[in-house]
Amino acid sequence: MAGVTKKQSLWGRLTNPKYIMVYATIAIFLVIYAFGAFLYGNKGFLTVRTFVNLFIDNAYFGISAVGMTMVLITGGIDLSVGAVASLTGMFIAYGTTVLHLHPLTCIFAALVMGVGLGLLMGWVIHYLNVPPFITTLTGMFFARGVCSLISRESIDIHHPMIDALAGWKIYLMKFADGKWVRIKPIAFINFNVILFLAMILIGAFILQRTRFGRNIYAIGGNEQSAALMGLPVGRTKVLVYGFNGLCSVLAGISYALYVKSGWNLSLQGGELEVITCAVIGGTLLTGGVGYMAGTLFGVLLKSIIPALITFNGNLLSWWGKIATGLLLLLFICIQRVITASAGKR
Amino acid sequence: MPGKNILEMKGITIQFPGVKALDGVDFSLCEGEIHSLLGENGAGKSTLIKCLTGVNRMDEGKIILDGREIHPTGPGNAIELGISAVFQEINLCPNLSVAENIFVGRQPMKHGQIDWNEINRRAEELMSRFHLDIDVTRPLSYYSTAIQQMTSIARAVDIQAKILILDEPTSSLDENEVQLLFTVMRQLKESGMGIIFITHFLDQIYAVSDRMTILRNGHLVGTYNINELGKVELVTKMVGKDMDVIFSLKRAEVKDGAEIVLKAEHIGDASKINDISLDLRKGELMGFAGLLGSGRTETAEMLFGATKTVRGDIFIDGEKIEIKQPFDAIKARLAFCPEDRKRDGIIGDLSIRENIMLAVQSRKGFMHPMTRQEQEELADKYISILGIVTPDCEKKAGELSGGNQQKVILARWMAANPKVLILDEPTRGIDIGAKAEIQRLMLEMCKDGVSVIFISSELDEIIRCSTRIIIMRDREKVAEVDGSTCTQQDILRIIAEGAA
Repeated sequence: MAGVTKKQSLWGRLTNPKYIMVYATIAIFLVIYAFGAFLYGNKGFLTVRTFVNLFIDNAYFGISAVGMTMVLITGGIDLSVGAVASLTGMFIAYGTTVLHLHPLTCIFAALVMGVGLGLLMGWVIHYLNVPPFITTLTGMFFARGVCSLISRESIDIHHPMIDALAGWKIYLMKFADGKWVRIKPIAFINFNVILFLAMILIGAFILQRTRFGRNIYAIGGNEQSAALMGLPVGRTKVLVYGFNGLCSVLAGISYALYVKSGWNLSLQGGELEVITCAVIGGTLLTGGVGYMAGTLFGVLLKSIIPALITFNGNLLSWWGKIATGLLLLLFICIQRVITASAGKR
Repeated sequence: MPGKNILEMKGITIQFPGVKALDGVDFSLCEGEIHSLLGENGAGKSTLIKCLTGVNRMDEGKIILDGREIHPTGPGNAIELGISAVFQEINLCPNLSVAENIFVGRQPMKHGQIDWNEINRRAEELMSRFHLDIDVTRPLSYYSTAIQQMTSIARAVDIQAKILILDEPTSSLDENEVQLLFTVMRQLKESGMGIIFITHFLDQIYAVSDRMTILRNGHLVGTYNINELGKVELVTKMVGKDMDVIFSLKRAEVKDGAEIVLKAEHIGDASKINDISLDLRKGELMGFAGLLGSGRTETAEMLFGATKTVRGDIFIDGEKIEIKQPFDAIKARLAFCPEDRKRDGIIGDLSIRENIMLAVQSRKGFMHPMTRQEQEELADKYISILGIVTPDCEKKAGELSGGNQQKVILARWMAANPKVLILDEPTRGIDIGAKAEIQRLMLEMCKDGVSVIFISSELDEIIRCSTRIIIMRDREKVAEVDGSTCTQQDILRIIAEGAA
């Protein structure tokens, strides 16, 4: 029998091969960050503000990536997230500005819509055995279509509650000369950042500490085996898409707070950005592997590239797309190599 | 001695389209008993098991567990009822840790969250009962098939199943691992578990079983105590005809001066193979013997271009050729049936017809498609030559039994009319009747002038059929012996000692 000795030490746990992809993400993030620090350190790249802005500008992608990571771990995919988030924005904008409803009513309606659509898509995928790609593509067209039915104009959001929530911020402080002062340059975190980090923690708890979460991994590892082990495959898959619907709606709320408007064409292609975050965060597109920590760094890694381009000042922002593309390619290649070498064992 | 009956299956009948898979079969299992279930492929063993685990619905009959009639609705339900099954194809999740594979779906909880320490501790305890001292937190895919198999059993044990079904658990284990498994089985039996054991190794049946039940073509032949029936009688009952076929097989003979078809000189690659030379003559059957991992499969893959050759030369009909990929090999009229037929050989979703025509079509090139009629003729021809049991050639290959799938793969390459046919474990996991059949077909092809390389873990098969035998050890060829003069002991000694 294979002579693998027992290792239960912290080191043994940390070197568990299943974490390789997460380490790769973190390492590449650190390399790029160090690169930025080297080039633009004197321009303020190293400030806390730059770092915190990575979160602020991408929180809505990150929130959606939490749900997407789970979907990808089951071996599925969800293309509807961008459209559902956009539709959420439309609900809030049209509801508050045109219909004069309370934002919470709009958010509630959006939640029913998003989670309902997610559950429905999950049901179709599992019980009607329609490939996730097709099912969620349909969901995407549906949500995008409803967006345009509501309005084809961008609608501004004006409501005291929304304004308060969007304007709410915690300034980062430091202790100097015996009292707390705001750090310079001013840096703060807002509701979106807190929601993003909370979702990452909730996602991690679900994945690592609940049976539901472990069933997600089992299904991604081998769906047939999972069924033969008596796991509730159908229920789990339906709920995963439902949870992803919830994440899409939260991402939509977060985006609405960020831009304070709703537009039927907003977040087009957003689903692909979200998938990119998850994949460069080490989630395998073939399912079975993925961690929230990886997704967190995937979001940071994807958002540091536009930041670098901004600091450079001379480059066209489209270089960001190319760099992201290359990064994605790199990660897919690493994944192939790792899965191939694991298969050879 | 076995206690009271815990399971009784009465008059089980299952109808599949065109075939009666089971016809009024009775089966019973006692507490603390190991009961072997025997029969050829297609006899209905798997169907009976699937019926018990709720995968297949029965059309007639009833199942009584502990005096109560049950209707298992699926594997999950069967597990709740106390029926666990461990299959030949390991049904676990490769991405989860060993420990988690044992506990997934019923993880111990603490404060509303999964208690990982408890999982790992208990998994370690379970594995150490099987004398396995491994890191249970590593992913399952990190370990050998044997350990994966044990993990599967550990899961069943921890569920505290009343009935454990072991479906061909030993086909990928080596001798020590088999003994270990038997020790575990006896332990479980002592604790009162009823075990249904399915295997095609006759010795293993006699080593552990208390009783055996024999099925043939979906009918019950009978249930016997283990000392009631000798091996020959047993096989006769299973096959339904005498063992003459297997004993009448004639070793492949090579005429003097037969030309060399395939010649390999000092081939090797970076890591798997050190140095192999061989020459295969027309109509010869060359056996590859050696332990698992000795390089048998790797050599075959290299000859076929499935893995890259780094050193050495390959000649076909005296002409040196480059085999960089399987396509080159197919062009040179080599054919290869890989070991893992589910993964590398059969395409389960395609029909028998489509599976058979693949190689022929690929040689002709896709610019020259075969007509539907040609395809059907071809498929029907091989279905009848090889005796593939199926209602028609449109049945999905994945729905056939293991032996029949193997025949379909064989048909694919026979139809391609190869010069050299490489068969890697063609008889693995199939029963005696089908094995004899496959061996007969192989030898007949040799008679027709095809050269065959035959890889098998079962030495008696190799010795029975081979003209010459190449013995491998530690990724090297250590000896070449004459099939007609060597004995099983000779080969074992060479494998053990490393030299002729």
